Amino acid sequence: MVELAPSAPGHRPPPADPADQALVELRRYTTGYERTAVLHDIDFTLRRGEFAGIVGPSGSGKTTLLRAIAGQTRRFAGTVETHPRAGERALRLGYVPQVDAINWNFPLTVGQAVLLGRWREMGWRPWPRRHDRELLGHILERLGIGHLANRQIRALSGGQQQRTFLARALIGDPDLLLLDEPTSGVDIKTRHEIMHLLGELNRAGTTILMTTHDLNAVATHLPRLVCVGEGALVADGAPEDVLTPEVLQRTYGAEMLVLRRGDAIYVVEHLDEGMSEAESIPDEVGAGASPLGG
Amino acid sequence: MGGLAEPFQFEFFVRGMVAATLVGVLCASVGVYVVLRSLAYIGHGLAHSIFGGAVVSFVSGISFYIGATLWGVFTVLLINGAARRRQIGGDAAVGIITTCAFALGVALISRHGRFTRDFDAALFGEILGITSGDLYVIAGVMALAAVVIFTWWKPLLFTTFDSDVASTYGVPVAWVEALFSLVLAATVIASLQVLGATLIAAALVIPPVTARLLTDSFTRMFALAAAVGGVSGLVGVYISWFVDVSSGATVVLLQGALFVVALGWTVVRSRWPGTGGGERLAAIEGATLD
Repeated sequence: MVELAPSAPGHRPPPADPADQALVELRRYTTGYERTAVLHDIDFTLRRGEFAGIVGPSGSGKTTLLRAIAGQTRRFAGTVETHPRAGERALRLGYVPQVDAINWNFPLTVGQAVLLGRWREMGWRPWPRRHDRELLGHILERLGIGHLANRQIRALSGGQQQRTFLARALIGDPDLLLLDEPTSGVDIKTRHEIMHLLGELNRAGTTILMTTHDLNAVATHLPRLVCVGEGALVADGAPEDVLTPEVLQRTYGAEMLVLRRGDAIYVVEHLDEGMSEAESIPDEVGAGASPLGG
Repeated sequence: MGGLAEPFQFEFFVRGMVAATLVGVLCASVGVYVVLRSLAYIGHGLAHSIFGGAVVSFVSGISFYIGATLWGVFTVLLINGAARRRQIGGDAAVGIITTCAFALGVALISRHGRFTRDFDAALFGEILGITSGDLYVIAGVMALAAVVIFTWWKPLLFTTFDSDVASTYGVPVAWVEALFSLVLAATVIASLQVLGATLIAAALVIPPVTARLLTDSFTRMFALAAAVGGVSGLVGVYISWFVDVSSGATVVLLQGALFVVALGWTVVRSRWPGTGGGERLAAIEGATLD
């Protein structure tokens, strides 16, 4: 259990295994926008190869933490240290924004949208070279949208849209994949597909950090969870360690119950009177099915 | 020489036609980014503001191009600064700053007591009064725009599509935006003599919107917009000779007619499912009303 005391100044997370390679390290980091600090005194380390999720209520600072790592917020105090690959000055980031933030009316085909992620390698040429086109074809095929390269981004299903922007992130060969609510607003099948895909990418070596609202279908299946509440890190660790009623109370400011059956964890706001714990766990969760696959 | 070839015997006509074609291509190419960033209003405002700059440069006795450029860049910086304040917002910032700059021009004219041909041209355009010097300026601005657009194609497209995300991918967004503002101001200044402050906004907006109706691909939209702008400039000036109507107005009316044809085509296509016409129509409605 790695629960953080919210009012403990100078708190440090447990020392990292020296064998682990840190990718991003925030130390006593206070950050936000313009004159408003949103996250206060954050200590957070993400190591290569990790797959971590950020959970918390709306307005708690989940997206701000993601954007802080992407360098899109204003620093008020503390330090952020990144460890790019040899010969590079900055981390290569693959950022997948929330679908609500994307201008779907923009005249971009899937191929054009994905190639934006390779703007640096393409240099001054407006049009892709053969190598760029081959790489594009390879990435699109890998994500199962190879037949959609000439389709306008608006004319795609929710899952295909997510895959398109995932492809844009991956084509730049990122050190770190940042995803803002990748399963928001998609149906159950698409959510499973996306999480399965992310699981595969992580097993292939991609470091992933994502925000999610979905505690039961997404967060409980992630290897590492970071709970953010009222602008502070409340807890950080494996889901079985951090998902406790106490942590959830401090994160969400609401009473929540945590039900366990075998390895499966299920979070509910409250139990209806007369309903037993076992009855309240849906089969999908009770069976321990992980959307990450593998 | 007479008939359809009659106007070509006049050097001023040929110069005007070349200028209108170049300005048509230039405004449409830059206008693609203006439209896709929902900044149609800024083109309109900037043209009026630069009219104020033209008057100030005349009254101060300095070159129109130097005065208007300084004024244009100053206005864009003011708009950017004001728009960053959350309480104001971009559209209101454009409205306040550009109309005040325009009003300053009008005030100076009334104080100065003279409304010369140059100001008439700055307001309504004077294509047939284009000099070789004006043509060189237009060609120079076109070369600048071409260099910026083609060498920064991907960063400019990425910034236009989503500037926040572009910065996380390492795109130098602030530089891209500053450079684009400079190109936009230069485009408006170079086009002022040809189309006039009142018609520049149309030349920036109508060809890209027409092109957007016809395609879902950015590359094709850019090419189509430039073609619509160039052809309407060329043909518009030619028609204006025979119908004896202001050349700038004829160019813009021709662009408007092409837009109506494209809109009609899209509406007809939207009746046939699977052609993408309905989606594009919805996209245009969304883009212009947002």
